[in-house]
Amino acid sequence: MNLASAPHALAARPLPVQAGLAAAVRQLRGVKILFPFVVLIAIWWTIQATGNFADRVLVSPKRVFDTVVLLITHGVLAEYVSTSLKMIGIATVVSILLGVPIGFAVGANRYAARSLEGFLRFLQGVSGIAWLPLIIIWFGFTHTTTLAVVIYTLIVPIIFNTMVGARAIPEHYALALRSLGARRLRLITDVYLPGALPSIVVGLRLGMGYGWRALIAAEMLVRQGGLGDLIFGARTSGQIDRIIGGMIIIGTLYVLIDRLLVQPIENLTVARWGVLRK
Amino acid sequence: MSVQAPAINNITHGTRRVLDRLTWMLVPAAPFLIVLLIWVMATGILHPSKETLPPVTDVISSIHELAVSGQLTTNVIASLYRLLLGSILGIVTGVIGGFIVGLNRKIAETLNPVVVFFNAISGIVWLPLMITWLGIGTALAVFLIWNTVFFIVFQNAALGVQLVPEVYEQGVRALGGSRWQTLRSVTLPGALPYILTGIRTGLGFGWRALIAAELVGAASGLGTMIFDAAEYHRSDIIVAGCLIIGAIAIAMDRWLLLPIERRTVQRWGLVVDAEKER
Repeated sequence: MNLASAPHALAARPLPVQAGLAAAVRQLRGVKILFPFVVLIAIWWTIQATGNFADRVLVSPKRVFDTVVLLITHGVLAEYVSTSLKMIGIATVVSILLGVPIGFAVGANRYAARSLEGFLRFLQGVSGIAWLPLIIIWFGFTHTTTLAVVIYTLIVPIIFNTMVGARAIPEHYALALRSLGARRLRLITDVYLPGALPSIVVGLRLGMGYGWRALIAAEMLVRQGGLGDLIFGARTSGQIDRIIGGMIIIGTLYVLIDRLLVQPIENLTVARWGVLRK
Repeated sequence: MSVQAPAINNITHGTRRVLDRLTWMLVPAAPFLIVLLIWVMATGILHPSKETLPPVTDVISSIHELAVSGQLTTNVIASLYRLLLGSILGIVTGVIGGFIVGLNRKIAETLNPVVVFFNAISGIVWLPLMITWLGIGTALAVFLIWNTVFFIVFQNAALGVQLVPEVYEQGVRALGGSRWQTLRSVTLPGALPYILTGIRTGLGFGWRALIAAELVGAASGLGTMIFDAAEYHRSDIIVAGCLIIGAIAIAMDRWLLLPIERRTVQRWGLVVDAEKER
């Protein structure tokens, strides 16, 4: 994910030139980002135009574009997108609220930490989606089922990374504060939370990556709305344009969430508390 | 530990150490035992229907049944075969791609946006489209695993290559090493720890993607096994399947990937602190 972030950072450095030129440079960068996509779409279009494909197999980029526009104007897309975003949002909040305290509690004791490590690895090995059939029996084809799968997937990396972060804090920091008369709450806000935060954020980012995929997969099977439902439902009626359009939307949304939400938090914590990521 | 300590003290000290070691070794089993206890108590006290929560004995006997009938072996082999095929493809293409991009800043910069986008839709999102193109079966699962493993290995390999200090490469070149020799004896070993971390993470992700793919897109395999069981509301088989999936994931990580990672990291001495914790 950090591919070539260094050159980008270089380009982003304010140049000692006129604002107009800077804007032009920025525009050039925008074009540069789009360039490989333009090439890809051109290839896609050429293949589609030269080959004789049935509409159920491959459609032109224009058809996909039209479909996406149609989905947007009819308000259908907003419905699907908001369902998915709400799910990942709720799952993230619940996982943080539950996972971080558990992680700290476990991280405080080395036996507890060791005992939970293997268990968490096991849980991570059984992906949430494998439990889906059982959870469907419990909650039926509902949003609760989807939510359960996503929270299960999201919370494990958060607990794990909180635990690792809490254990990595040098003990004498807490001891020093305590000898200066700090209370437990002070210890948590001044030592444990900031010390473990970079690791927690890494866990959050990892969890969001896992969780987003689990969400799409669960939506495909639960079929109660959401982007997974959109693309999987389109399959049964052979609407390739909807499938490809949905995939593009899923990808774009995830990049946006990652870039506009998760990465800034990560940069902020790393910059503020100056702890290097592992 | 002092030499002049009385013999009796030595013995108690020794037993305590052994006891400590024993606790340390056994402690990872604790969460599993606790869950088992809760499970046994829940079925014993609440008497839920067998569909909702199968008794432990049912799950054990269904594992036994599956093993004896040969169903388990067939499904495990089907799943592992797909994982192997998809992972080998993903690792080979990922490492080659990672080297090309890692060695060339320009290519890295140009391709970065595409990589970010396709990484966001790697794996399960391709399922609906690929069912249409490849049909249900091994090719579909292999594609999804390849797609998942590729991006993780690719990004780690590229990062690893970029992080090899240029001085080392220049050193070998100054001593008359050819481009190929530099690659083989400097860049590859330098990037190897990252590549192996990528492979380890990638296989974890790939295993999840496989199970999700098998839920709908295969005629055999562990995912198919649990999804079929759900049709007949055989919760015991679902739980048995999940336990087996987790056990295989842990076994793979412990006995295959971790030793490989450890050996190379030790050999080339690039120890990342976080890795030591594991």
